[in-house]
Amino acid sequence: MGDEATQVSASSAVAVHALCFAGIVAAHQLSGRGMLVSNPAYALRLLVVFEAPLVIAVFSLLRRNPKRCSFLKAAARGLLGLPIGAFLNAFGAIVLGAPIGIKYWAATTYWSLLMSLFTFVPAACVFGASKVNWQAVLSHSIYCGSTDSVDYMISAPAHGAVIGAWLGAWPMPLDWERPWQEWPISVTYGSVAGHLIGMAISLALVVTHKRRGRAKAD
Amino acid sequence: MAAPGSHTRRRAWPLLFLAVLMFHSLAIYLFTRGFLLTRTELDVHSHRDDRIGISPGCSSWPPPAVDRLVIVVLDALRFDFVAPSTFFQERQPWMDKLQVLQRLAADEKTSARIFKALADPPTTSLQRLKALTTGGLPTFIDVGNSFGAPAIVEDNIMHQFAKNGKRVVMMGDDTWIQLYPEHFNKSYPYPSFNVKDLDTVDNGVIEHLLPSLHKNDWDVLIAHFLGVDHAGHIFGVDSTPMIQKLEQYNRILEDVIDTLKSLSTSGGPHENTLLLVMGDHGQTLNGDHGGGTAEEVETSLFAWSPKTPPNAVLSVLGKNLCNADLHGKEVCVSTMQQLDFAVTIAALLGIPFPFGSIGRVNPELYALSAGTWDNQQIGANDCTQQNDLEAWMRRYAEALCINCWQVKRYIDRYSATSVIGFRAEDLNHVADLYSKAQANWSSVLRSTCPVETSSQDELKECANKECTSSALRLQIDAYSDFLESFAKLARSAWTEFDLWLMGIGLSVMILSVSTQACMLVKLNIDQISEKERASSSFIPKNFFAFALVAIRAASFLSNSYILAEGRVANFLLATSCIASVWHSATKGKFIIEEFVFLLLNIFIRFGIEFGMSKQISGSIISNDHPVSIICGLFGSSFCSDLMEIFPIISLTLVAYIILKCISYAISHRFLKYSVMSGSILSYIFIAIHWASESTLLSHTKATRETGISLAPRLVYTIGGLSLAISAFYRLFGSTDHLKMNERITSLSAVMLCSWSPTILILLGRQGPFVALICMTIAWCIIKLQQKNQRELKLDKGIHAADSVSVTQWSFLAVCLFYLTGHWCTFDGLRYGAAFIGFDHFHIIRQGLLLSIDTFGVSHILPVLSLPFIAICWYNSASKNSKVNDATVTRLIQVLLMYGLITSITTTLTIICVTIQRRHLMVWGLFAPKYVFDAIGLLLTDLLVVLASIYYS
Repeated sequence: MGDEATQVSASSAVAVHALCFAGIVAAHQLSGRGMLVSNPAYALRLLVVFEAPLVIAVFSLLRRNPKRCSFLKAAARGLLGLPIGAFLNAFGAIVLGAPIGIKYWAATTYWSLLMSLFTFVPAACVFGASKVNWQAVLSHSIYCGSTDSVDYMISAPAHGAVIGAWLGAWPMPLDWERPWQEWPISVTYGSVAGHLIGMAISLALVVTHKRRGRAKAD
Repeated sequence: MAAPGSHTRRRAWPLLFLAVLMFHSLAIYLFTRGFLLTRTELDVHSHRDDRIGISPGCSSWPPPAVDRLVIVVLDALRFDFVAPSTFFQERQPWMDKLQVLQRLAADEKTSARIFKALADPPTTSLQRLKALTTGGLPTFIDVGNSFGAPAIVEDNIMHQFAKNGKRVVMMGDDTWIQLYPEHFNKSYPYPSFNVKDLDTVDNGVIEHLLPSLHKNDWDVLIAHFLGVDHAGHIFGVDSTPMIQKLEQYNRILEDVIDTLKSLSTSGGPHENTLLLVMGDHGQTLNGDHGGGTAEEVETSLFAWSPKTPPNAVLSVLGKNLCNADLHGKEVCVSTMQQLDFAVTIAALLGIPFPFGSIGRVNPELYALSAGTWDNQQIGANDCTQQNDLEAWMRRYAEALCINCWQVKRYIDRYSATSVIGFRAEDLNHVADLYSKAQANWSSVLRSTCPVETSSQDELKECANKECTSSALRLQIDAYSDFLESFAKLARSAWTEFDLWLMGIGLSVMILSVSTQACMLVKLNIDQISEKERASSSFIPKNFFAFALVAIRAASFLSNSYILAEGRVANFLLATSCIASVWHSATKGKFIIEEFVFLLLNIFIRFGIEFGMSKQISGSIISNDHPVSIICGLFGSSFCSDLMEIFPIISLTLVAYIILKCISYAISHRFLKYSVMSGSILSYIFIAIHWASESTLLSHTKATRETGISLAPRLVYTIGGLSLAISAFYRLFGSTDHLKMNERITSLSAVMLCSWSPTILILLGRQGPFVALICMTIAWCIIKLQQKNQRELKLDKGIHAADSVSVTQWSFLAVCLFYLTGHWCTFDGLRYGAAFIGFDHFHIIRQGLLLSIDTFGVSHILPVLSLPFIAICWYNSASKNSKVNDATVTRLIQVLLMYGLITSITTTLTIICVTIQRRHLMVWGLFAPKYVFDAIGLLLTDLLVVLASIYYS
């Protein structure tokens, strides 16, 4: 009970995810249809530019211990988490086979930053360096035992993005010779799709959590 | 009571593993008999002065009928590209484009003809060109002396051209140069691999074709266009580029035919030339070929003779399908087998028939040449006057006589020397047909020379003519029956899959996999304690391991994934490691071994990609490749020096690590020192061998000879001695005082030290680098498993083997296969390794070395080192009997798991090749993959049997 948890309503959860989704949509609209295929680095950069402020701002508002941790401090934690998360994502991608080459550096960097926004930055904003919270949010048991809505909102989209990226690598070895099979295009499609599915799942969990909480109150 | 039961159980498992090996051998044997079509290549050639066994009436090879031959090959030419659209139910956009051929077939019926040519699968250009020139039926495995080399060893018309003074000029597809490197007086080859390029090859041919027609320095001209093939592959048959390409060909052919006409006047250079416009195979509407569907095997052949044969040619051509074309003129189409092409061309040009040809001289193509109608009256003084048709029939019958004689001697030679021959009853039937035909021919010869030559009775002369014609016709039919009968027999033996045998083999394989799985489940149920089963990580771990294996097995259904198999295995191995890191992170722990594992995965990944780049011959390493970047930074001389020194430094490090492991692992004093000294000597000899090959140091000749030849042999000898010592120790060494952990550790260490020097020297300079990666990752897997065991803290020390560790071990083995520069095609075999230490070829010795090089790091070492992940590292101080039993049980589980993983992947490979047996790449990709997996499975099973005997 040391942490003073902020209870988030279902409508607030919807608003949070809607804002994140709006960032993705705005970037897509501005870059135009097919830009991710023709110029992935540019499209990914737009996604990062649009998504970063929204994610950092929204999840900073959901920070733990708001009395002892100011909004600016939470935002600073998010900004610090962005490059660290990008590095870890890039490392994982390279281990799994992402190409290393001069012409891929920009796309890989922006992809890693985007993945960091999907995975590490929300947790960094909300939890900071709290080890216990990080462990909890990483674990899959969170979906069964947690009583905090914010945990769902962080875990499900992050897991979805990672699993989506992993599945998105599926077409790359095939000899269909489509332009979208190149790195990191198909993986980006996969991670964004997984991220959005994770958002939907977290909303469902939040609603379920609210209903269960209301039943206990009765 | 525990000891006898344990002993009985201990002896049972090797027998069970042996039974699994037998099942797999049976399954693979049955499937292979049905799937891999095998034919023995004979390197016998025909000669002009062949006389042995020749029959009367076939005094020599047929005389030449045409002086010069122009062959225009339009790769992947469909039949409906040439024939008028009125021959088909529905007109398509790509039809009626080659108008010049249709006009000639309509206007000059006696000298031009469209054929539907039937190819035999597999319908790839290499196989088809080989079939067209040898007159045989190439299969996936043509067992011969030149296994793996593209140049044709069998007799073929190109060889006969060269030997008989026929000068050949070739332009176009460079496949011809690969097949016939020394047979062309002139050649203009162009690379054929870029299917997106519709014009490079064709433009090259256009540049040289018309000028060559005006020259007199050739007898046979071959022009091989590739545009239709490439347009089909990229755009499909129903596409604008295809139609444009066909229209371009029409213009080219118009120019060719106009040139030939203008030069074919009496006394001109093309007076007696034959023009052939043909495809080597067809293609589907998607532009694919390689299999055996009707669209792929049906192609076209157009023949035209500028010199017109007599009108009697129509009686030879008359029975075929005729129809009106778009202009209302009658066009006739014949059918012929591509199998008949080689022998027909040989007969027309007057050269010996290729020894392996089993085709028949095609009567229609033979008749189209005006030269075959020139009267060659044999024994003219004795015989009556004959008309054109009779004379032609007699000439054709004589050609068939020599045709049959040549096929018969091929049958006799093949049956005597081939690995798998024909059935005796089939051979007897064919021999009977031949005997009857020859006997009939003798009587026909007599009947054409009546005794009463002085008689001028008109009635008798008329009857004699009729008798001669019908006798010749019957004779031709008898010869044709013999040839067609044998061709049918050969096709059933060499080109048709036996689905029944394939099905049974696959069923036996699935049955054995199910048996292995049941054995494993039963073993787990017996051995798993309640506490461990209740552990929350047990079921997810097994599910995760199974999912990884299933994903890898399912990836074989795609040809792209088979080509990228090394990367797929590396991807899944990295996935399992990342999952492990994630699992540790949820518990707040960060284990150094997991990060080392991840880093080494990166090295493996780059190594595999580097190995894959060598698959594409002649390609330059991409500028993005890190090796190129590093070499660019430091300069090429620094890189070459580093390449010389780095292997020896790595070797020193490997030797140090292995010796340290020996001193720790082996407790028996004699065994320890003998293995240690043997290893030290081996590594010294390896270093000497590589130093003597190096150009950094200058050596005397004797020193170099010692390093190159003697050192490897000493390494092999020391390896053999180490194996012998370990076997003696296993058989006769006292084991009562040793704990099972120590005993298995000792035996495993000795086994690895025996094999690794031999494998290292065979792998070459890359060996130590691979060994370092391999050892470090194996160490990570073992340490992670130790930590996992410690976490469970099971007091009894009895628990199931870790399926994730075994799966990682298996994936690591696959990655090492590709990391060492191997891949699943026969040109991926590193033949050079077979000659390390030996200069002369000996099939058993070189085969053994090549096998160790190919399978050593991916099969032999992984299986023999499985005990390291079976040993109970924790609670080594527990009661001796319980720990011993647990260790043996875990060892059996680990071996069973590893065998099951290999069986599952091989079964999916078999299912894949069954599904894809008509795929374009079946012979280039799926069949080699099957061969490698089948051999790997049998080898794994054998090693599992030996390991279960040796370690238990």
